[in-house]
Amino acid sequence: MRDTSTAFRVKKALGYAMMLAFLGFSLLPVVWVVLLSLRPATALFEPIWESPAAWTLDNIRSIARSDFPAALLNSFITAGSSTLLALLVGVPGAFALSKRRASNKFFASWLLLLLRMAPPVGFVIPLFLVYVRAGLIDTYAGLIFAYTSLTLPFVVWSMWTSFNQIPDELVEAGLMDGASLGRVLWRIVIPAARPGLVAAGVLSFLLAWNDFFFSLIITRSDTTTAPVAVMNFVSYASVDWGAIAVASIALTLPIVPIIVLANKYIVQSLGGAVKG
Amino acid sequence: MGSITLSKVVKRFGEAEVIPPLDLGIRDGEFVVFVGPSGCGKSTLLRMIAGLEDLTEGNIEIGGRDVSHLAPGDRGLAMVFQSYALYPHMTVRENMLFPLEMAKVDARTARDKVARAAEVLNLSAYLERKPGQLSGGQRQRVAIGRAIVREPSAFLFDEPLSNLDAALRVNMRLEIAELHETLGSTMIYVTHDQVEAMTMADRIVVLQAGRIEQVGTPLELYEQPRNEFVAGFIGSPRMNFIRGAEAERLGAPTIGIRPEHIRASRESGLWGGRVSVSEHLGSDTYLHVDTDVGPVNVRTAGEFGVHRGDTVWLNPDENAIHRFDAQGLAL
Ligand SMILES: Nc1ncnc2c1ncn2[C@@H]1O[C@H](COP(=O)(O)OP(=O)(O)O)[C@@H](O)[C@H]1O
Ligand SMILES: [Mg+2]
Repeated sequence: MRDTSTAFRVKKALGYAMMLAFLGFSLLPVVWVVLLSLRPATALFEPIWESPAAWTLDNIRSIARSDFPAALLNSFITAGSSTLLALLVGVPGAFALSKRRASNKFFASWLLLLLRMAPPVGFVIPLFLVYVRAGLIDTYAGLIFAYTSLTLPFVVWSMWTSFNQIPDELVEAGLMDGASLGRVLWRIVIPAARPGLVAAGVLSFLLAWNDFFFSLIITRSDTTTAPVAVMNFVSYASVDWGAIAVASIALTLPIVPIIVLANKYIVQSLGGAVKG
Repeated sequence: MGSITLSKVVKRFGEAEVIPPLDLGIRDGEFVVFVGPSGCGKSTLLRMIAGLEDLTEGNIEIGGRDVSHLAPGDRGLAMVFQSYALYPHMTVRENMLFPLEMAKVDARTARDKVARAAEVLNLSAYLERKPGQLSGGQRQRVAIGRAIVREPSAFLFDEPLSNLDAALRVNMRLEIAELHETLGSTMIYVTHDQVEAMTMADRIVVLQAGRIEQVGTPLELYEQPRNEFVAGFIGSPRMNFIRGAEAERLGAPTIGIRPEHIRASRESGLWGGRVSVSEHLGSDTYLHVDTDVGPVNVRTAGEFGVHRGDTVWLNPDENAIHRFDAQGLAL
């Protein structure tokens, strides 16, 4: 009895130790960046664990004066719009794939996987050529469409899986109760699949939010997103590490509340738990 | 109002013909049970009536109106599913309000109807609960409640009791039968359990591989089964079938005799044999006997004190012998 309980405690302690070690390891860069962001330019290359002569908010002020806040707003607008568009189109699409009979579902799943897996380099060049002719370079519409090529397959794929976990009988009960397919989707299926929907929305937003490549190719200045704007702090002559540190914090901060709020749903949806 | 007529109804899934051409008339107010082994097409047939499956051929009339191409919600039917299919995120009240809301019934009337249905089904105390907080029997009642508030012209039940434990099943069986008495609406009830069929039905439709083997009242099926399949399917324990010389001697290629129509004796009888299993229920005794004419099951009323290995004699009631030709059709 005593032995097993001691063994159990040791195991538990070991488990915690490992968790702490992992947490420390993954948080280290974050702490580093925060410390970096508060240092004056002159103290940037001193050892990070030594306190500088004076802490400063200069980096934050210079970021605030730069184009970076506008780029952050661009990121919000494009990632947000693309996510909304993907949900608007993708959720009914996933519903149809999951709950309606169709002969070419196999083809659809194959195509979706291809779109999900293919590296963006694969279609960014043709996209660029088309955009030049269509006048979509450096426009919100252009970037939103490009992002939707990432977010839409993702939303369809993940909502298809979510909807598959909802019993067909729920849909049929709705139809018997006199609801149209649209009503069944809106009133019954979506509420029952809410964890999956929240997860799909958040992850789709992050997909667009974290993009660098599309923005680099498609935007010039007006619609440049934050990850690309960070590169403005790199010039031939020097790299403004303090500003980059502040910018990367600014890029990360908005994600935190979203993840915290959505965490419950994301965990549920990854666990595949939709209560029947 | 609630009469239902199926004419030359066919269902194919791709190449597979699940329902060959089938005709069936159901009268207004009748309690009809579809019974048959699992996979015989009961659910498919019910779902075709509901509108959840398209007809490959043929047509369906409800109350004299051709509904073959109407959406499920426009047929004036309500369905109770095996899994109950309650909306998990809605309370019991919201679940029952939903069909009324879809039918654009005004809020006041809807609330009254739900309150009344809840009272009938003993659900008044649970109206604000979610389905996840209810027992199986309560969920089943909510599903029924959601069906009755719409006042449909007919109710469709697809194995509604198979997820309940045995005791609850008997209770709910009675409740559904009572509901039928009270409402007087047409009900179609699907089950693979012939006891449910026998106890609830005005008429039973016995299905096999999508074909109707026989339609009739429970007693008609019990007393005059049209063929071996129906004879074997209806009645519990199952009818004994005897073939060969003994059957020929009794006047048919195959004879059938129900276990309750055989008298067991320790002294004398037509067939002698050894008891292989004896089940003593107090009210009845079931004997499985290995005889010269093959294994025979016997049901005797009351206690019959024999045990494994004992010799018994069996006397079939001559008037209760069913005779079948080589094709299995009743003679
Ligand atoms: N959507 C479908 N696609 C193909 N075959 C089906 C489909 N639904 C049912 N079937 C087949 O039809 C037959 C009858 O099924 P069903 O009506 O569910 O039987 P039951 O309810 O009597 O158990 C089964 O052989 C089943 O495999
Ligand atoms: Mg079935």
